[in-house]
Amino acid sequence: MKLLVVEDEPSLLQSILEYFTQEDFLCEGASTYHSAISKIDAFDYDCIILDINLPDGNGLQLLHYLRQYKKKEGVVIISARDSLDDKIKGLDIGADDYLTKPFHLSELNARIKALIRRKYTDGVDILEAGNLRLDLSSRTVHCSKQPVSLTKNEYDLLVYLLNNSNRVVSKQAIAEHIYGEQADNMPSFDFVYSQIKNLKRKLKEKGCDDLVQTVYGLGYKLSL
Amino acid sequence: MNETLLQKNTRVLLIWLPVVLLACCLLFYVLMRMQAHHMQLKQLLLKQDNTWNAFVQKNGDIEKSIRGEYQISKAGDRADDKTDELKDTVIYYPAIKKSLPFQLLTRSYEWQNSRYLVTTFVSSTEITHLIIKVFLTEIGILILLLVAIVILNRKNAGSLWRPFFSSMQKANEYDITTQQSLSLPTDTGIAEFNELNATLTRLTSNVNDAFQRQKQFVENASHEMQTPLAIIRSKLELLINQPNLTEKAASLLGDINEANDRLSQMNRTLLLLAKIENNQFPAVEEVDVSQMLRQLLDNFQHHYEEFPATTTAIDDGVTVIANPSLIEILLTNLLKNAVVHNVPGGKITITLTASGYIIENTGLPTETPANELFDRFKKGSHQNKTTGLGLALVKQICSLYRYTVSYQFRNGWHTVTVIFK
Repeated sequence: MKLLVVEDEPSLLQSILEYFTQEDFLCEGASTYHSAISKIDAFDYDCIILDINLPDGNGLQLLHYLRQYKKKEGVVIISARDSLDDKIKGLDIGADDYLTKPFHLSELNARIKALIRRKYTDGVDILEAGNLRLDLSSRTVHCSKQPVSLTKNEYDLLVYLLNNSNRVVSKQAIAEHIYGEQADNMPSFDFVYSQIKNLKRKLKEKGCDDLVQTVYGLGYKLSL
Repeated sequence: MNETLLQKNTRVLLIWLPVVLLACCLLFYVLMRMQAHHMQLKQLLLKQDNTWNAFVQKNGDIEKSIRGEYQISKAGDRADDKTDELKDTVIYYPAIKKSLPFQLLTRSYEWQNSRYLVTTFVSSTEITHLIIKVFLTEIGILILLLVAIVILNRKNAGSLWRPFFSSMQKANEYDITTQQSLSLPTDTGIAEFNELNATLTRLTSNVNDAFQRQKQFVENASHEMQTPLAIIRSKLELLINQPNLTEKAASLLGDINEANDRLSQMNRTLLLLAKIENNQFPAVEEVDVSQMLRQLLDNFQHHYEEFPATTTAIDDGVTVIANPSLIEILLTNLLKNAVVHNVPGGKITITLTASGYIIENTGLPTETPANELFDRFKKGSHQNKTTGLGLALVKQICSLYRYTVSYQFRNGWHTVTVIFK
């Protein structure tokens, strides 16, 4: 998968590139509007991560340009401007998703993977880890061929961990993934702990032991 | 004791104007008496001349005395009788059986080697009556004048001070959070008020500028902080995924991560506050508070295992016209506070009616005075998991929609009341 990251903040750009390289993406970065345009003209990408504020232009203009030339790249906008207007404008012009800074890289990763799955896989939406099998289209989970019944939150949590497999995902990232902006208003993130506990119990009952591990003080990790 | 300008003005007028008018009356009376005296003297002198001339022309062959007119007598040994001086006297009229007051003047003349004394009389009744009538009329006129001056003055002051009171009212109603600046007319027709209005306008505009700059600063600062916060967060994510992390390093990273998340949350809340202040939530609709509250409560109880025991009295169909996101923020913040600032095994009571929302929870007394709790970064306790912005947010939303919010602590219960109307 080829990924273009357009972001003017070099440090953030470098983080994103590093993270997605680890996820086996072929990554390229652009920090200005014009370098992004020339890269888009020269190569085809599967996915573009786009910052709205660029030193020599606007990410929304770039999106216009893409859609004008019928480029089919999936686009995820990342922006510090969390106004609803920008969000609607971006999605109207043809962005596939929108994420507000500061975001968790694991969240961006999950969004990109969901986007790629939507765009490029035809019907076969299966996530696998060991003897765990999760069918995204029918929203079912099987452990060693046995069905596991999960609540909506537990299911979302498992998808999130699977998308970020072999990575430590923090409690905060999970809370924000499940509750979005509402996570700020939760009295504590303890509910993440109980969700994880329930999920682990249910998986263990069906024979998927130790798939999800607690990394003390940091978060959780699904190891393959 | 303070009185209004009008009262003070009227009081001064009512005290001093009668004094001045009374003095005028007295002066007028005295002057009039002097004038009357002078007039009587002239009349008597003229009468004396006429009488004497008639006496001489007719060779003394005229009546020697006419009652109330004149009297001529040989002087004899009373040649030194005083002359040219008015005297009061009373003459009896048998016809009407009354004595009437007169003024008399006596002078001595010489004719055919004899001295004669001529006395003439003039009635003082008429002139006394005239003086009394004129004096009474004068008092009447002066009283009328007094009343007219007071009434005119009050009426005039009312219209004179109208620009002042209108400016006062506008200044009173001025709300720095919603209004740009106070624009007062500078063409009131009165120079002092024009100047006052210009000064007030300039003052509010300066204050407003400072307020805007302050607001802008908070918004800009929060905005600018987003990028570094995003960088820290991304680097931390890369760091916690490094292989061979020691337990010590992992624990440190966990703490940094948590602090950074709190910072991000605080920053988001500050931005939200700035946006509410800048009225960037214009879209309003009818919000079903009952339904929203039930749903939020359900959500909270579902996700928070140690949610305190809750008693609810939620009326159906309570609606407000507002931005749904802001109402949700208002409700969740209060709910969150009731949970966070509770005691183990505590309780929560929730009451929602058409007029307002009351949320009570058991808890320890706050360390901050109740009236400061709604200020930014004022915390009721040393809970380090809170941002200290929750109640500021609640207050901001309440002031946007003109709800009244109040807090009190009694018998171990914290009570927050929001009155919608």
